Amino acid sequence: MPSMNAVLFLSFLLFSVGVAGVLIRRNVLIILMCVELMLNAANLNLVAFARHSGTVNGQAFALLVMGLAAAEVAIGLALVVALYRKKDTIQVDQINLLKG
Amino acid sequence: MIMQSTVSSALSLPIHSSVLWLIPFLPLFGAILNGATGRWVKSSKLVDAIALGSVALSFLLVLCCFARLLGQAPENRSVNQTLWTWFDLGGAHVLGGVTQNTMAWAYKFDPLSGAMALLVTGVGFLIHLFSTGYMGEERNNGTYYRFMAYLNLFVFSMLNLVLGANMIIMFLGWEGVGLCSYLLIGFYFEKEFCAIAGKKAFVTNRIGDFGFLVGFFLIFMVFGATDFDTLMGMTRGILAMPQITLFGITHAPTWWFNLIGCCLFLGACGKSAQIPLYVWLPDAMAGPTPVSALIHAATMVTSGLYMITRMNFIYINAPVALTLVLCIGSLTALVAASMGLAQYDIKKVLAYSTVSQLGFMFMGMGAGAFSAGMFHVFTHAFFKAALFLGSGSVILACHHEQDMRNLGGLRKHMPWTFASMGIATLAIAGIFPFSGFFSKDEILWKVFEGWYAGGSVLSLAAWIMGMVAAFMTAFYMVRLMVMTFFGEYRGAGHSDPYGLTVPSEVAHHAAHDDGHGHHEVHVPSEVPWNMWLPVAILAALALIGGFLNIPHSLHWIGSSHFTAWITPLLFQTGPHVHEAVPAMEYLLMAVATLVWAPGAMALAWWFYGADPTWSKPKAFVQRFPVLFRWVNAKYYVDEFYEAAFIGPCKQLGAQLWAFDSLAVDGMVNGAARFTLLAGHASHWFDAKIVDGLVNLVAWILQQVSLGFRKFQSGRVQNYAFVMFLGFLVFAFWKFLA
Repeated sequence: MPSMNAVLFLSFLLFSVGVAGVLIRRNVLIILMCVELMLNAANLNLVAFARHSGTVNGQAFALLVMGLAAAEVAIGLALVVALYRKKDTIQVDQINLLKG
Repeated sequence: MIMQSTVSSALSLPIHSSVLWLIPFLPLFGAILNGATGRWVKSSKLVDAIALGSVALSFLLVLCCFARLLGQAPENRSVNQTLWTWFDLGGAHVLGGVTQNTMAWAYKFDPLSGAMALLVTGVGFLIHLFSTGYMGEERNNGTYYRFMAYLNLFVFSMLNLVLGANMIIMFLGWEGVGLCSYLLIGFYFEKEFCAIAGKKAFVTNRIGDFGFLVGFFLIFMVFGATDFDTLMGMTRGILAMPQITLFGITHAPTWWFNLIGCCLFLGACGKSAQIPLYVWLPDAMAGPTPVSALIHAATMVTSGLYMITRMNFIYINAPVALTLVLCIGSLTALVAASMGLAQYDIKKVLAYSTVSQLGFMFMGMGAGAFSAGMFHVFTHAFFKAALFLGSGSVILACHHEQDMRNLGGLRKHMPWTFASMGIATLAIAGIFPFSGFFSKDEILWKVFEGWYAGGSVLSLAAWIMGMVAAFMTAFYMVRLMVMTFFGEYRGAGHSDPYGLTVPSEVAHHAAHDDGHGHHEVHVPSEVPWNMWLPVAILAALALIGGFLNIPHSLHWIGSSHFTAWITPLLFQTGPHVHEAVPAMEYLLMAVATLVWAPGAMALAWWFYGADPTWSKPKAFVQRFPVLFRWVNAKYYVDEFYEAAFIGPCKQLGAQLWAFDSLAVDGMVNGAARFTLLAGHASHWFDAKIVDGLVNLVAWILQQVSLGFRKFQSGRVQNYAFVMFLGFLVFAFWKFLA
């Protein structure tokens, strides 16, 4: 049974990798995957604290977030397809119409 | 009798009125046709046909109308035709209130205008015929059609003047003849003196027209009408008014009639060349000779007389104006006749003679004898047109020599012309039974009667002046005839034993004549038939014309048809009384025709004819050099006008021009310059200050936004990074709290 601290540290690592991926990687698909990483880091936190407090509220939240993530991926991938059709690329550094 | 005449007038009226308008318009059509197409017409015979044909047709129409008029009772002798309404005043404020008078284009054919129309078309046709010969040189240089078109236009204008049924149409003709006179005097406008003479005639006439217009306006203000029949009918009513107030001035009707009469007389002075406006007529001799005969002797210059006769209802009731007419007329008759004594130019002599004869006519009018004055118009038209045309023949035969000192002896070469001019000379001198005797004697008697029957002493003075003028008339006419037709021909290349000739422009003309042969020793010959025939016809009329109006005192010869013809048109002041003829009239008549005129003629013959060396006139000039110089220089009237009026006018014009160019133009230019300057300043302010402010704001915004632009990288990850940083700061801050 891993300790509470170890779980929280893993969650922290996962989240950090997700943030770094979102901020650094150029490929939209990778960015979306990193977003999933961050969501799952949050899920891990929720489950860990649920076990620590002995209630099921946190676990219920985690289930809800998974469902939400599935919906989010569907929308996100649809946006990526639309983007590709429009700009012929999925590299975010080449999509800079908002440049001032 | 009355019923019969009514019936006959009812029958003939439609025929009259439908053709009346053709009388003036036929010559107009001729003028338009010739003026518009003559330039391209190859044969000048066609121009002749149009010009002469239109006037001849017009003359025949006048004859028809005249014959119809003769067949009617005196009170019905008037035919009117209204063509159209020329313009509508739409209500004008006049003495009698608001008048709705419309100005109609209307003609009126009555004894007076009919007789004048007969004169204008008849004499006009003869002079057209004469012109076909006289203007022969112009056939080749392309100006012939222009001359004929002008002549036709003149006939149209003159017919408007005499046939017009109201003052507007009369004024139209009045101005039209002035225009044609200007055009024809300046016909040779490439010569400067012709152009100047034309301008002089026009400007002088304008001064007279001013008076005519003022008189016309006054008549309209007083009567509220313009057509002659209405005016005549209203006169009695106007006279019955106690007083008339116009423009805030109140006077008796007679005072206003006097004013109107004087104003109109100023117009007559201009048109009929009376003192002080006579100066244009002698200069008008610069025009071709047929023009001098038609316009400046027979017709146009008599329009003043016609107008006064037409307006007799004004003059009869305007004693002061009538006296003015008498004085000016007699003075002009005397002064102009004396000027004619010392002229050498054959046309100038005739010009002054015309002025003088016009003075006689005005004298008759001034004495209240309108029919006598009008009768002299007719006889004068005959003999003066004959004289002018005769002089034209002489001038043409002698290659444009006009100086009588270089003529002479033409009696043998030009018998027809000599005979015709001789008859005309006897007529103008007033020898019984030539026409001039009847007309001039009648005038002089009426003037004398004005004093003799208890009138003012002015009439006696006028009569004396008239008698002296008549004496001079006979003198200068015989002088003209002797210098031109007697002795030996003194033209270029001929013997001149007495040294009478003077250098003239002819040498210059002959040089330019070389095209058709040399004329070094030139013998003048009789002119062709189309030139001597009109002169002969006019001379014949001058011979017999007098019998149309035999004075009452000579009723055993015939009766005074002309007076009876005109009298119904005159304003009747009272019942006409036939007085017994005073013995005085017979005495004066006998003196005039047996002593006075023959005396003058004998004197002239003794001076110039009996002695071919002209020693007596030369001695006379030697003895009275100052007198001769003054008369020869026409009393320096032209020079006086130049110094007294024309010079100051020109100076005033120059000063006004200077004021115009300095002050008025200066103001305009100054305003323009100021506007330009203000525009420049405004432009500078706009560009630098207003635009500068706007640009400054934009510039500041641009500079400020340069920093902010950097944040807008367009990269989603940058925005996400900032968001993450913000979240971290928030979390850190929460942690610290």
